Amino acid sequence: MKQTDDLSDVIKLISDIKHKNIQSSHDVAIRTEKMLDNIISQGKWDSALELMELIKQRIKCFSQSLPDEPTASNIMKHILKVIRTECQSMSKKTGDTHSLHQIVTGDATHELDYSETVSNLKSVLLGYLSEYKEELESSAENIAAQASEHIHSNETILTVGRSRTVERFLKSASKQRMFSVIVVEGAPSYLGHSMASALTKNNIQTTVIPDSAVFAMMSRVNKVIIGTHTVLANGGLRALSGIYVVALAAKHYSIPVMVLSHMYKLTSLYVGSNDHETFNVHASPASVIPYSSGSILNSVNIKNPVFDYVPPELVTLFITHQGGNVPSYIYRLLSEMYHPDDYDM
Amino acid sequence: MSKSRNTVAKDNATQAIVIADTFEDEFVPISNDVPLCLFRVVNRPLIDYTLEFLSLGGIEETFLFCCNHVAAVKAHIKKSIDEAVGWTLTMKVHIIVSESCWSFGDCLRDLDAKGLLRGDFVLLEPGVISNIQLLPLLKKHSEVFQLDKGAAMTLIYQESSIGHMALCPQDETIIAYNSKNRVLFHKKTQKTKEKRVTFPLEIFIENSSVSVRHNLKDTHIAICSPAVLPLFSDNFDFQTKDDFVKGLLINEDILGSTIYCQILKGSNYGSAISNWRMYQAVSLELNNKWVYPIVPTVKRNRTLPENSALMLQLEKIVIGPNCIIKKGAKVTAGSILGKGVVINEDILITNVLIQSTKSDDILAQPIDKIGEFAYRLRACEDEEDLDLDKLLANKLSRLHIGDDLYEYDGDSDDEFSDSSEELSHTYSPPPDDTKLFFTEVVDSLTRGYEDKLLCDNLILEVNSSRYAYNITLKEVNYNVIKAILTLSQNLPNGTQYFPQLSQLLSYFSPILKNYIKNEAAMADCLQAIEDIAISNTELKDKWVIFLLKYLYEKDFLSEEAILKWFSNVKQDSKLYNQVEPFANWLQEAEEEDSSDDESE
Repeated sequence: MKQTDDLSDVIKLISDIKHKNIQSSHDVAIRTEKMLDNIISQGKWDSALELMELIKQRIKCFSQSLPDEPTASNIMKHILKVIRTECQSMSKKTGDTHSLHQIVTGDATHELDYSETVSNLKSVLLGYLSEYKEELESSAENIAAQASEHIHSNETILTVGRSRTVERFLKSASKQRMFSVIVVEGAPSYLGHSMASALTKNNIQTTVIPDSAVFAMMSRVNKVIIGTHTVLANGGLRALSGIYVVALAAKHYSIPVMVLSHMYKLTSLYVGSNDHETFNVHASPASVIPYSSGSILNSVNIKNPVFDYVPPELVTLFITHQGGNVPSYIYRLLSEMYHPDDYDM
Repeated sequence: MSKSRNTVAKDNATQAIVIADTFEDEFVPISNDVPLCLFRVVNRPLIDYTLEFLSLGGIEETFLFCCNHVAAVKAHIKKSIDEAVGWTLTMKVHIIVSESCWSFGDCLRDLDAKGLLRGDFVLLEPGVISNIQLLPLLKKHSEVFQLDKGAAMTLIYQESSIGHMALCPQDETIIAYNSKNRVLFHKKTQKTKEKRVTFPLEIFIENSSVSVRHNLKDTHIAICSPAVLPLFSDNFDFQTKDDFVKGLLINEDILGSTIYCQILKGSNYGSAISNWRMYQAVSLELNNKWVYPIVPTVKRNRTLPENSALMLQLEKIVIGPNCIIKKGAKVTAGSILGKGVVINEDILITNVLIQSTKSDDILAQPIDKIGEFAYRLRACEDEEDLDLDKLLANKLSRLHIGDDLYEYDGDSDDEFSDSSEELSHTYSPPPDDTKLFFTEVVDSLTRGYEDKLLCDNLILEVNSSRYAYNITLKEVNYNVIKAILTLSQNLPNGTQYFPQLSQLLSYFSPILKNYIKNEAAMADCLQAIEDIAISNTELKDKWVIFLLKYLYEKDFLSEEAILKWFSNVKQDSKLYNQVEPFANWLQEAEEEDSSDDESE
């Protein structure tokens, strides 16, 4: 009972996500930040090691219950890395500096002793968290602010389904430029429809096309701009189903594919095999074939995958709040965000 | 934490009632040991799905009504709360125990007496798995209630179509409702076995538009007004929800209550495991993600130690939680490792089933021990794989899962009704009247035997019950014999058993004589013995042969009847082995008789 008492905050978060009280990944991020704030300010820990253990337990609990929702785990892993670096910099102040050799080889003999009690660690971490919170809140804005660098006048932009980040990006561009948008409706959820209506309200010229028309329309498109669910460690995407087709069509016509992503969507996970059951989430087949179809359902197994795997070579550029990055640079961002010891959990 | 959970149950918390037990004998004998709500469905206990559904559906307080295996259910719920499983945060579960309830109706009457429910509530029949959002449905029900104060219940149906596996023939329903979704006509077609359905003309005259539907699946979920429980109490003959619906529709004017329905479409799914066919159908649909977001758990991201010599064909290997495979050990395709198994260094595991604890089975050989936490399991002692398959296939073939699952077409109606007539006592749950009749007969006989009443009077009593419940002669014969044998279950075991039983039989011999009059009655009698012997081990293991001999000697059963019955007994059953010597003896006696006849 004691252990579950400890984890009640993360279980509450999980249950809120499952009950759909929190829906967008941004809200999950804010909640996670709040939770971490609580742990750091009120949790029972004396040393960095204990704090890290508390956070690790939560990551485990979360990734077991909601393996398809990486945002919360990513933020917690990032904070783990921050704890490590803060400890390191504090010990550096007191002790000797590392030699270049040690930094390059990551010599384990100089492993820090995290179990020491560090007096001002709490205030430093809380300071960082409030900074991080601001970063989270301004992230979408920062991404949108780069819009005019990427969208030029009279261009035709293609996007798929609905993404708040993309919507904001396009709206921001529309303040300075005239361009038209083609929205792929994204069956079977058809979220593209609501995206299109949101864009037209901002006087952006918008066309909705069915998923089947993607290849035909692609030749007139100047840029593909999409959101994603997750950015994988190799620079690939786990994105709404249908995006793989769009990316392939774009490749055929050599049209750049830009992916808007918050930093917390970057995971340290690789794809074992993308056709494996565990990579994808399968939603109810009811949106593909109605339950009232009769005896055919007895003998057919219908899959309705939610995600597509898009390999890194189909992505031209990632746009985060820090600017644009190519897929091959993701490994670098990864090591900035997370500590290698936390990649696998 | 438990304190904070107590505060969740506010005065206006949305409430649900889950009846945990099915009162039909569909799942016997498995349900003798495991309660229905703990049946494993795709690796998880059934109740977990039900509770998760209620929690996701927005319910805050649930009453789980248990009649049998209460300790097991309580332990399971406690374990879930301790492990803080998803639903425990948003929903409070109360277990209500009543071992005196014998039907769905009894449970609701009991709940009425307890007065726990405050407003509209959701009522689930046993075994419900669903993914629907309950709050909108509750809201709709209360809107209807504003307009029609008599609205007692909203039945939830899911749109399906004929021929669908989950549209169980036993649940096949025809309903008619008007434009306000008020149910005007409700009939379960299977129970009546009629081929014609008569609609009262009034429903078409009185309503401007009427929908008649036959393609609906009963989700066994209902939204109820607080008036439902008192209605059950007032009408003590309501045993099931169907009785309730039927009673309310017939006596609409007297009871002043109406029933509404809601039809689910799209990705809303609801089903109840009410029999083996539905068990199969729901398992399949769970696997095919129809109940999304409630899906079977898939273990992800299992990390394997580096440098392990696993032959990685994980699709064909099943590894349970907390397994340790040490360096140099090899596990190849077809192996199944249970929870907590430890495989030691340099061991090759090929195509076996391994568990971490020693098997209780005496047959387990010492050679089966592979390590301290690894024991090899044999599905069946010293049998070739082929035989094993055959055995399994044989066993499974007797698990009767509904009828014409895949080859349903409209033309097969005739064959279907014939076959169900013939086999009715073996697989379809007997209609409720028969069951009531049976309990009444048992009561009369018990009383008669204790008070030493005259058998003639008992016969009169049985016959009056027979007319009260409108039971066919065939069923009377079967049930009377079954009742007499049921009484024998209270007798002491061991050598005392048979003398007592023969005393009992001789006491009831006038009754036996009265009912076992012809060949058909003898067949019924033997069927009853067979059915009782399955559940009564004392009788099955030792005494069935004596019982048959006794009945034969007293001329209740003829040898032709016994031999005819015996030829239909499954050859590999224990019963067959028991009865075989007697049957052989009868056979020989008959041959001698016939040869005597010839010599004369």
